[in-house]
Amino acid sequence: MVVQGKLRLKFSDILITILLALVFGVIYKLWGSVYDVFKPLFFQADELVYGMWFIAATVAFLLIRKPGVALLAELAAAHVSLLFGAEWGIQLFLYGLIQGLCAEIIFALFRYRSYSAGTAALAGLAVALGSMGVDYVYGYIADYEPWMFFVKYGLRCVSGVVITGLFAYYLVRALEATGVTNLVRPVSKSEYDALNK
Amino acid sequence: MNNWFSPKRVTWMHRVNPAIKFLVFIGLFIIILFTHRLDFILYQFLGYAALLFLSSGYTLRKLMLMTLPFIFIFVSSSMTMILFGKGETLWWSWGLFRITEESFFRGIHIGFKTLSCAATGLLFALTTRPTLLFYAMMQQLRLPPKYAYAFMASFRMLPMLWEELQIRQQALAVRGVRSAHSIRGWKERLLNYAVPLLAQSIRRAQRVAVAMESKRFAAQSSTATRTYYYKTSVTSRDGFFLVIILVMVAVAFVASHEIPLFNVGDVRG
Repeated sequence: MVVQGKLRLKFSDILITILLALVFGVIYKLWGSVYDVFKPLFFQADELVYGMWFIAATVAFLLIRKPGVALLAELAAAHVSLLFGAEWGIQLFLYGLIQGLCAEIIFALFRYRSYSAGTAALAGLAVALGSMGVDYVYGYIADYEPWMFFVKYGLRCVSGVVITGLFAYYLVRALEATGVTNLVRPVSKSEYDALNK
Repeated sequence: MNNWFSPKRVTWMHRVNPAIKFLVFIGLFIIILFTHRLDFILYQFLGYAALLFLSSGYTLRKLMLMTLPFIFIFVSSSMTMILFGKGETLWWSWGLFRITEESFFRGIHIGFKTLSCAATGLLFALTTRPTLLFYAMMQQLRLPPKYAYAFMASFRMLPMLWEELQIRQQALAVRGVRSAHSIRGWKERLLNYAVPLLAQSIRRAQRVAVAMESKRFAAQSSTATRTYYYKTSVTSRDGFFLVIILVMVAVAFVASHEIPLFNVGDVRG
């Protein structure tokens, strides 16, 4: 049957994933003002919106539901910010790579078959932890005062769960209502069965 | 596309094979990542900055403008560590803020790391045409064409994306949609923009993908049979580039030992 190899990335999957990363880049620029709203609230509050950096990975997976798209989305996001001159430079690549891999690990644990809010939240948490791992080498975060360490990365994990996980889930639910998801998701077996009736 | 971002003169840096340049810059990043001595990273940054100013082919005025945000990223990346890092030799404290000698030097070390990444990233962006980068990646690094062409096609859709964003902004303004300055308001605002932009992008990407596939853009054939509109190759110029980079890093390394400015050793606690 056709089901064989249906999880391989088609050209349209790749193009859609990369474009998604681009759209989030644009939205992020627009949303950048949120950073300024959060900043005066209390120190390190900007960590709360950090999850927006990672959101392309979870949205791409929840939308396309294939292995590899989360990693591709993160790498594309990093690539775009490098080529189009974000002020943060080449280090974004490593962040993108590690974050993408962390999200993939979570989705793989569920054999790429769970698309629930819980899975998304878990992936968001994993991505936040992944970025923390890179920070460990890059920014010597183990040398923060302990309370600072917990405040900063506690907030980032919360942001990962809420924005990268849950918000991405609701965003994809909203997209489902527009009908575009039928264009991109692999055809399931039940739909083939329906044809044979 | 944008005239402002065209260099005054095309230098040797523009002619280096983009794929080779990409690999070398990733290598530089790994060196930056594992540099833990303040003097070494300082000299590295001076080297990258010199390369940026001398070989990018842009006028001094434009380069000064483009490096202006460097001040901001230096401060924002070093401040948390300076104020809240661990350390023994106390210089100043006020409430929760504690500036120690160790945390101060560790902070500016992180700042210089970020500046080094920013300088190399900017140099790469200014001297590399995205299209040629992907053509070179296909030809020299064997990147499957379907990834390369997907990247190139999606870049072309960026202007449409901006246009759609403006239309959406105007449409919301005409209807008098205003969202509150609260968390709920922000979420509403985000959904108001994200859903239509994403849905439209997905539809368009899908249509473009079908068209491109029918023209065999994504065909997985061996490089022997596939032809390319832009031919990229590795020449002696790329060897010259590699030598310059290696010499620069070596000079930075030697200088950091011979004429150290800070002389604080390993910044890790």
